[in-house]
Amino acid sequence: MNYRMVFYNIGRILLVEAALLAFPAIVAIIYNEKTLISFALTIAALTVIGLPAVRKKPKKTAIYAKDGYVIVAMAWILMSLFGAMPFYFSGHIPSFIDSFFETVSGFTTTGSTILRSIENLPKSLLFWRSFTHWIGGMGILVFVIAIMPKTESSSMHVMRAEVPGPTVGKLVSKLRASARILYGIYCILTAVQFVLLIAGGMPVFDSMVTSFATAGTGGFAVLNNSIEGYNSVYAEMVIAVFMLIFGVNFNIYYMFLIKQGKHALKNEELRCYIGIVIGSVILIAICLANTKYSIGDSIRYALFQVASIITTTGFSTANFDTWPVFTKIILVFLMFIGACAGSTGGGIKVSRLMILVKSGLRDIKKAINPRSIETVKVDKHTVDEPVVKSVSVFFATYMIVTAFSTLIISIDGRDLVTTFTAVLSCMSNIGPGLGAVGPYGNFADFSAFSKLVLSFDMLAGRLELIPMLMLFSPYAWAKKYS
Amino acid sequence: MNIIIVGLGKLGITMTKQLVAEGHSITVVDTNNEKVTSIVDTYDVMGVWGNGVTCETLETAGAAKAKLIIAATASDEVNILCCLIANKMGTENTIARVRNPDYAAQMQFLRNELGISMIVNPEYETANEISRIIRFPSAANLDSFARGKIEIARVRIHSDNIFCNMPIYEIRKKCKAKVLICAVQREEDVYIPSGDFVLRCDDTISITGTRAEISHFMKQTGVYKQKIKNVMIIGGGRIAYYLAKLLSDTGRNIKLIEQNENRCYELADTLPDVTVIYGDGTDQDILDEQGLEFQDALVSLTGIDEENIIVSMYAESKGINKVITKVNRHSFSILNDIGLETVVSPQIVAGNLVTRYVRALHNSAGNSQIQTLYKLVGGKVEAAEFIVPEDAGYENVPFRDLNLLPNLLIGCIIRNGKIIFPGGDDVMKAHDSVIVVTAGRIIEDLHDIFV
Repeated sequence: MNYRMVFYNIGRILLVEAALLAFPAIVAIIYNEKTLISFALTIAALTVIGLPAVRKKPKKTAIYAKDGYVIVAMAWILMSLFGAMPFYFSGHIPSFIDSFFETVSGFTTTGSTILRSIENLPKSLLFWRSFTHWIGGMGILVFVIAIMPKTESSSMHVMRAEVPGPTVGKLVSKLRASARILYGIYCILTAVQFVLLIAGGMPVFDSMVTSFATAGTGGFAVLNNSIEGYNSVYAEMVIAVFMLIFGVNFNIYYMFLIKQGKHALKNEELRCYIGIVIGSVILIAICLANTKYSIGDSIRYALFQVASIITTTGFSTANFDTWPVFTKIILVFLMFIGACAGSTGGGIKVSRLMILVKSGLRDIKKAINPRSIETVKVDKHTVDEPVVKSVSVFFATYMIVTAFSTLIISIDGRDLVTTFTAVLSCMSNIGPGLGAVGPYGNFADFSAFSKLVLSFDMLAGRLELIPMLMLFSPYAWAKKYS
Repeated sequence: MNIIIVGLGKLGITMTKQLVAEGHSITVVDTNNEKVTSIVDTYDVMGVWGNGVTCETLETAGAAKAKLIIAATASDEVNILCCLIANKMGTENTIARVRNPDYAAQMQFLRNELGISMIVNPEYETANEISRIIRFPSAANLDSFARGKIEIARVRIHSDNIFCNMPIYEIRKKCKAKVLICAVQREEDVYIPSGDFVLRCDDTISITGTRAEISHFMKQTGVYKQKIKNVMIIGGGRIAYYLAKLLSDTGRNIKLIEQNENRCYELADTLPDVTVIYGDGTDQDILDEQGLEFQDALVSLTGIDEENIIVSMYAESKGINKVITKVNRHSFSILNDIGLETVVSPQIVAGNLVTRYVRALHNSAGNSQIQTLYKLVGGKVEAAEFIVPEDAGYENVPFRDLNLLPNLLIGCIIRNGKIIFPGGDDVMKAHDSVIVVTAGRIIEDLHDIFV
């Protein structure tokens, strides 16, 4: 492994984080809050560590797939460690592990919180919490690629390790241009949501923070009752629609930009995603209409909750923990599925699910007629056999990591629903689960060790397993390939 | 500039590498998915998997908006067809690799009637390069500027050379030839030397000057090699055919050794002035029997790199004046160390040709004023020729008042056909040709040479 290049890249990311921390510091100045000093300390720490690493560019700049994975995994862990400092220094989250959990939850766009009362936090910390969602949503390394004057040719390894989905392509031939287009679309969509929320009468600060949390499909809210606290149908619908928008593969928006909207609408993953959303909304709405809710309210709550869970955002407008079991099971399914590949959402991803189902059907056909040869097709293109295989392996690994984490967390002695959905919610980067970690609950009561395991799950889920799992392999740290 | 490269053979990959380094937006197309993936992983390019002759693939690759398409698949016909289709779809310029000698006669037709901008025949270009080296054997490699007025030659300083351990200002005093040492390669590093730079044994220097002055310089320094009369060529492939034809036209004695009997008959048929020998040219006995030691030059052109290298090393050991080795895998940088001075690879030759064309295209779009461009020392050094524009702001200013970048050298100035090696008092004037030698950076405009 090219250690110097790994350090160089990580140093660069730490400096970028220092620059990004200036935004919450500005918020602290505007609202005249004491947290300013803790932000200043964090920025100083990042600069002190980051600067020596980037002072000299290594002579050997070649990095390979392995280095890319290690850079991504280490960058995310270090970013979260440093990002936790403002919470810890300011004293608003007294335990460092809690601060770390909160920051990982932010960067991975999970939105699980250990805070019992969110409204007590100063505005600058609330801003930073949601800003981490926005940074983590599209990925900080993609951001670094976008702002650097020249990309190293092997940056593709880094991009591939950070952008979710079974296959990662570029929009245009230059990586930097691709990253810029992605961030351009991301910024514009965030800005549109911000303006729409203000237009609906939400306070400016809340609109901004909520837009960040929606864009990254994170789910940190400003109020204890999440979006329910605003009690505005307009705001709920704007947020629901934008959650769904950010759950779509960004390539689709690019195709609209280059006037190929027709092709974009034919995208199988998009259609499948919309189908799942509509189907789930109808089923849940019917089920809710049979309980205390009116038909209008049933559709309103069903739509918001389905959008929130499938895009793995995790905002809530109702305590779905009290809903009928049938609706909860649908929501758990949606937790597994997650958003589209190449979006800011988490989960297994719709495209992987499609490939899994299709390859399953193919294997049944093959069992009936062992001599038949058939390929798995998505968008009328054959999916490469290695990709099909990697999707199956991904699914299996996802399940194993989930099961194993559930086992470890169960040591805390919580009930089955709480334990399982806490892990699932972290793996899929959603936020709330069911039971004690439901929309009205929080993660505060888990033991410190469980919180570390859940933090690992969040990172593993966001980076799609391999980068995080690779850190445990001694071969990953060897200088040579072995 | 948007460029599509179809076919990821050795040539395709070499060109991808060179053009990416120049900062162009490249899309590569190949029918082999694995090749596309590995290229996309290594270089900052977009990959399209598919047949480059189908409209669908070309559309995905963005042929409608591309400035240039380079078709370099293994098949000439596919390349021509690919260019024609891309051209109709909107690609402005097209380059096709066509190497079958049967088509050589209709290059004009392909260009004028079918509208293909450039035909590249790597084998022919390689043969051409080798024949130039044979005509001027003292230099390891040779390129020319300003329509041949100025040459740039690479020469190895052997341990018996009088320049060993001599600073460059001393050399200038000792040697009366008007040449300029513009780059020095020492092992893996390249230097643009200043006056107090000391040359060492086994350095390879690049010198610019007129051909006569370079010859003069070489005679004085003892690296001058006798004119080559007798050439032995090992291997009878396409390059050998073109080379034998080029050299026999200049009246040299050519002996060509080929191990396929039928091919020997073909060659003997088409090359009446060449002695064609049927035998294994990599066999020491046959080489000795055919009088290797009486040859002035040996060119090893078999299809196998290892055999070429072994034969060349044997010829070097026999004291052959000039040994030229063809190597396809140019990525190994040890060839100079084992004593093989002159190494030629077809894809590098063709790649340079295409890069030059792309630069010229870039010029005409008003982006740069480069006239000619050579990459020396494995691409680490660039020598580029510019024309000074009018009202540039820096003309008529003495060089001592201009603040030039480090690691950069003004090789020479050609004004009205006269060659000037500029000192501190000299100036650039509008319409002058200026040759700039740089290491480690790309100069696209004469403006870029100042701090």
